[in-house]
Amino acid sequence: MKIMKNNGIWMGSTLAVAMLVFAPLAIAGPDSANAKAKKPDPMQVVRGAKAWKNNCGRCHNLRSPKELTDEEWDVSVTHMRVRANLLPLEAEDIKAFLKASN
Amino acid sequence: MRKTLFLSSAIAIVLLSAIPAEAQTSASAEEGLSSANQALLARIEKLEAELIALRASVQQSVQTASTAKETAQNAVKTVSTVQKLAKAGAAGAYSGAPSDSKWHLAGYADVGFVGGDMPGPDSFVTGKFNPGFHFQYKDLLIFESELEFSTTNDGKTTTELEYSQFDIPINDYVTLVAGKYLSPIGQFQERLHPSWINRIQGAPAGFGHDGVQPTSDTGVQLRGTVPVGNTRFTYAVALGNGPQTTFEGGVKLEGVGKDNNSNKSIGGRVGFFALPYLELGGSYLTGKVSGYAPPAGHEEAPVTIAADVPVGSSALDQARYTLWGMDAAYTKGALAARFEYLNSHRAAFFSPTADDPTGVFLPRLGMKAWYGQVSYRMSNVGRSDFIHNLEPVVRYGQFRITGHDVLREENAQDRFNVGLNYWLAPTIVTKAGLEWRDFKVAGVPSETLYQFQIAYGF
Ligand code: HEC
Repeated sequence: MKIMKNNGIWMGSTLAVAMLVFAPLAIAGPDSANAKAKKPDPMQVVRGAKAWKNNCGRCHNLRSPKELTDEEWDVSVTHMRVRANLLPLEAEDIKAFLKASN
Repeated sequence: MRKTLFLSSAIAIVLLSAIPAEAQTSASAEEGLSSANQALLARIEKLEAELIALRASVQQSVQTASTAKETAQNAVKTVSTVQKLAKAGAAGAYSGAPSDSKWHLAGYADVGFVGGDMPGPDSFVTGKFNPGFHFQYKDLLIFESELEFSTTNDGKTTTELEYSQFDIPINDYVTLVAGKYLSPIGQFQERLHPSWINRIQGAPAGFGHDGVQPTSDTGVQLRGTVPVGNTRFTYAVALGNGPQTTFEGGVKLEGVGKDNNSNKSIGGRVGFFALPYLELGGSYLTGKVSGYAPPAGHEEAPVTIAADVPVGSSALDQARYTLWGMDAAYTKGALAARFEYLNSHRAAFFSPTADDPTGVFLPRLGMKAWYGQVSYRMSNVGRSDFIHNLEPVVRYGQFRITGHDVLREENAQDRFNVGLNYWLAPTIVTKAGLEWRDFKVAGVPSETLYQFQIAYGF
């Protein structure tokens, strides 16, 4: 009786256990890591990027989204909504874009 | 240990699959089992026992694996919670509680140097420090305020409340503003005057102090946007305390804490996007001004402007002030071209004084100013980052005054600026510029100034 190479079995079972343990994590991983308060709607982000480009450089240079935190963008874009007479929907789209890009 | 376990399980599997046929045969003739077969049977029993043990052990490993999986999942959850908390923590530490009330600290500062043949020496100028505060409660309202700290020529610090206003969105198209606000007339004051936005060190002639451009007012505004087809109209309508008479007999266009007459000014601006990058606007402001009221404890009266004018009737103790203007801004990518025109007049009237309640006569005062400005950021020129950060700018403007000789002598001029800006970041700029002032009163020498400034908007 020939015994199978124990190395192979060991490696195979290790692989199996590894897959068993980590496969669900590989799926769960990005999901949980992305757990922002609210997942941005990609279309809103796209609309926001366009509205940002068209409106936010009219009076001053465009600032990088990275300059402010989510919460600061919330306040600042509301501030700019009043100063630049923007529609609230535009402001919401712009916020979504800035928060998705900072 | 585990090695043995796997080894034996492998053997068991091989044996179990190979043996059944032989085992059945042996069972039918159990009594006639040879010793060899008995040994085999014993071995099988042993293997069976091992197999059971193995199964239990595998079962246990599966359990261990699923526990490991659960633990790992929990760990991932914990990590993402920690990440969220860390982010919220960072935001919280930087800008206050991340709850219903949010706030943001902003503003700008600048320092500079001015030299040239103007009266007075060349000098470093401390510039200004303007912290801005914005507090927002849910989507209900935002309170915004800006202070201006600057140093006077004798070294004292002055503080001014630039604006201090509540912005309350009423619906998609209307926001109510209440408090002291930057004047919505024209573009310069509300949009362009902060030094990190302004492309040149100073304001255009007539758009700064003692100019035609109102700086602020105290009152209420309704403002917003009305989309029409592919374009939109923007509007701001303001009801404020309005203009007052200055000590010199000019017009003060600054928000005051308390009005000195019951007449309120009404004004505002309507804007329209003729093209996506071209905004045109029209402004209007009207109200009545009363005579100069010396502050409590001060007995000064307005400067008598024309001594030969007869002292008149107190019926003319208020005068109508009216301003209108137009503006245009083309801002596409690297290029910004701007134009503004403002024209105001105040009717003649008598301003009472402490000595003479019938007042001194202030003739009709007319002021108009305009400027055009073009700046071009060289972000698409050549390959050098240094060149990409450069921005040449030119501005030309005129300021004209009729009906007040002192103001005219001090301010009426043609002003021409050329400058070269270097942007260190989108809101940090160093400016180097030349300014020519050609005064419009005979005998007042023209001036050439060189100006340097660094400004940072935060
Ligand atoms: C109508 C002109 C105008 C437009 C359009 C405009 N801004 Fe501003 N922005 C200003 C002015 C003026 C300030 C300086 C405010 C002050 O100091 O009072 C400013 C300040 C800021 C600041 C500094 C922080 C603050 O809130 O004061 C940020 C950030 C900013 N703007 C972002 C934006 C974004 C994002 C947009 C597009 C939604 C935008 N701006 C559109 C005029 C404008």
